[in-house]
This record gives sequence, structure tokens and C-alpha cells, in this order.
Amino acid sequence: MLKAHIIKKRRELSVDVSLELERGQSLGLFGASGAGKSTVLACIAGIEEPDDGFVKLDHLQLFPPSLPLHRRPLGYLTQEPGLFPHLSVSENINFGITKETAATAEQKQWIKTLRDRLQLDPLWSAPASLISGGQARRVSLARMLARKPPLVLLDEPFAGLDRQLVRELIDDLVFWAQTIGFSMIAVDHHAEVLKRLCPQRVIVVEQGTVAQQGTWDELYGSPATPSLRSLLAPI
Amino acid sequence: MNTNRRWIARGGATLFALALLYPLTALFARIGAWQWGEDIRGPALSSVRVSLLLTGCAMVIIVAIGTPVAAYIARCGTRERLFWQAILLVPILLPPLAMGILLTLAFGPYGAVGSWLEHFGILMTNSAPAFVSTQVYVGMGYYVLGAVAAFDAVPVMLQKQAALLGLTPLRVFLRVTLPLSRLGLAVALSIAWVRAIGEFGAVVVTAYYPSGMPVQLWVNLQSFGLPAVMPLLVVFLAVALPLPWLVHVLAQRRRHA
Repeated sequence: MLKAHIIKKRRELSVDVSLELERGQSLGLFGASGAGKSTVLACIAGIEEPDDGFVKLDHLQLFPPSLPLHRRPLGYLTQEPGLFPHLSVSENINFGITKETAATAEQKQWIKTLRDRLQLDPLWSAPASLISGGQARRVSLARMLARKPPLVLLDEPFAGLDRQLVRELIDDLVFWAQTIGFSMIAVDHHAEVLKRLCPQRVIVVEQGTVAQQGTWDELYGSPATPSLRSLLAPI
Repeated sequence: MNTNRRWIARGGATLFALALLYPLTALFARIGAWQWGEDIRGPALSSVRVSLLLTGCAMVIIVAIGTPVAAYIARCGTRERLFWQAILLVPILLPPLAMGILLTLAFGPYGAVGSWLEHFGILMTNSAPAFVSTQVYVGMGYYVLGAVAAFDAVPVMLQKQAALLGLTPLRVFLRVTLPLSRLGLAVALSIAWVRAIGEFGAVVVTAYYPSGMPVQLWVNLQSFGLPAVMPLLVVFLAVALPLPWLVHVLAQRRRHA
């Protein structure tokens, strides 16, 4: 179970958000650009350090004190694929796997599953610096999932991708969330994407605070603020 | 870039290179027959050995100390970074002769560190340690400043991603930061090498003996005149240039691999 209370003061915004997430569940953080959603996610991941509050994952205290990044059992995906350009696709995917783990039959099978499902076969030996943006997103997703993290954090990972690919990646993520059983928090300002990714629960962040939380039906049924109504309206 | 523009750019670069190499035409000046007799060849080859061996030692020290220092400075906030950079600029800005005098006074037999080292039999004037330490002082700033710039060019987010994939800070440095900054590090190392192996002003004060190539050039000029300088100059270029160039070749190769 993840429990977090993030307090982070920025020049233009003060973020103060609390959230809880049961193991295996998914949670969407919804709101306009610049509302503070990504800051919450970055603080949980450890990319940024909160000014105050706490982050606890099961029995592991992530903050405070700030747990070093390499000891955090989570995966973090952003709109920048963040592939290591000096390595091949396969080296990127196996980057976080120790040699001992990589040698096990179970891990080999898991990597093969990822490879097949994400259609990475033709790219497998290619330099990561030479693949397309859409391919890079698939590789970064495989790299994150290769370690089977118990918590997955997604910060608008599908921005700028075509609808077909977004649909495929969402289906993959939902499939693996059920297969592996990881918890997932996703950030997006497209309700359609977030609803498919995290159908169970959503928190609306506005001006750094929680404006509303509940199910998507509740959100669509009675949006708490005019700006939220505007965000949910079809284009 | 279309073909015409490419040729114009190439022509410009060629003119630039010719201007840069123009002083070397003096090698063909009428100064009389070059001298390379035994009395000149022996000390000259000895100076080549001294320069290559001791500058190599200095580079090992510079890389071993300078790389972690540069990695630290690259992670500092703006104010602290400016402070360290100011300190690194001091030995670079000092006139080499002044640097030699300061090193001799600080590390010589009358300085605190120099007299302490002498107890262990380490002489810090006119000795190999004096030669190496002088080169470390003149080359370190160039290497560290270059290495800081090289580390800066590696995206912080990539390093954080590597850490989130379970790599300890040391392994992130070895597997991500170092490979991605190798071209910049190669440039920094080659500049430090060129600066150190060609150093004359500071070395002539701290380590007249054992004579490296720049000091031997001076000795030849004083004792035999220009005809004894030119062959050693050619030897100097032949032995000093390949190593830094090779470092560039290797870094480029791995970059495009």
C-alpha cells in the first residue's frame, strides 16, 4: 500500500496533496497543465524531494528521510523515454537487471514475453539512439517492466504519440498491471487516456491541491469546479 | 549542406589550418645544416624519455584526482561551483615562471611540505617528483574544467533514470555518466597533456634536471644555436602529438560505434 502526503513549494505554485493506493490498484491524477500533478509524481519517485510530508510504500519509508533512488522499488516513466543512447535496445531493457537475475529461466521468459508483446524483435540489436520516438517509448516501457516493480508511476508517457500506439500501450499496461499485480499512478491531462489507464479512481489536482476525488462516474456526474467541467468537456 | 557550400566551408577550414601551421615553415629557414650529432642526440633522446614517462605519470595523477573532483563540482549548486572554478583558474592564470617560483618556494627544502618530504628522501627540486608535480599543477585546471563541462553535458534525468533502475551512484557514474562524457573527457585530457608536455616556464625553475624536451630545446638553443633546436623540435612534435590525437580517435570511434 502506498501512502503519501506531498508538500512542495515552488516559485509559482504550492503543492499539498495526500493520496493512498492499495496494492494492485490504479489511480489517476487529473488536472490542467501546471496544476502540480507531475510534481506529486516526481516527489513519490524521488526525482524531486518534498519540502515536507511523507511517502510510505508498504513498510518502506521513502520520505523522510529521502531514500536513495536505487533503493526505491518503483518504475517511473515520463514523456521523455530516457533511453541510454550509447547502448543497444536490448542493453537498455536489461539495464536494471543483475547478471544473476538475468540468467534465471523465469527472467529470460519474462524478457521474451515483453519482447514479443511490445514487438521489439526487429529493434533488439539496434542502437537506442537510432530508433524512432514511438519505438523508444515501447523500449522504455519494457525497460521499466523488466524489473517487475511493485509500483509504476507514469507521467504523461503517451504525449505526442499517435492514437493507435497510445491504445496499444494502454492495453499493454493494463494487461501487465493485472499480470504482475503492480500498483499504478498515472498523470495526464487527457481524461480519455487516464480513464482507460486508471478506470478505478481519480484525483483531480488544481492549483497544487486536491479539488475532487472519486470514481470517473462521480467526476463526470458532478465536477467540483468550473475549470474541471471545462477539462472534461469534449473538444 | 549542399556540395558547393561544403567545398566553400572546407576551403575556409583549409585556410585556417594553413594559417595555424604557418609558423612551422620556419623549419625550412636557412639557418645552416641541422645538428644531430652524438653530443646533441644523446641528451635529446634522454629528454624525450623523461618527457613521455613523467608526463604520463602526471596524466595518471591528473585523471585519478581530477575526475572525481570534476564529477563532484558538476553536481554542485551555482555558487559552490563558481567558487571551485575560481580556484581551478588560479594555476591556469598564473604566468608559468611565477608558478615555478611559487612551487619551488612551497615544495623546496625551505617550505614546510618540502622539508617534510625530504625526511622521506623525496626531493622536490630538480627531481622526477618535482617534474611530475609541476606538470600536475599546470595541467590539472585544464583537465578538471574540461571534465566538468563534459559531465554537465550528460542529462541529469538519464542518471536519475539509471538510479531508479537500481544502480548505485558509483555504477551510474561508470555505466552512464562516464561513457556519455568520454568525448569531452578526451578533449580535456588531451589539452592537459599538451599543456603539461610543452610546459617550460614552470619546469625550468622546479626541474631543470631531469630535463624534459622543452628544457632541452632551451639548452640546445643556448649551447649550439638554432641548428640543434630544429631536429629536436621535429622529434617533439612526432612524440607529443600522437597520444592526444589517438585519444580523440578512440573517443570518436566509440561515439559512432
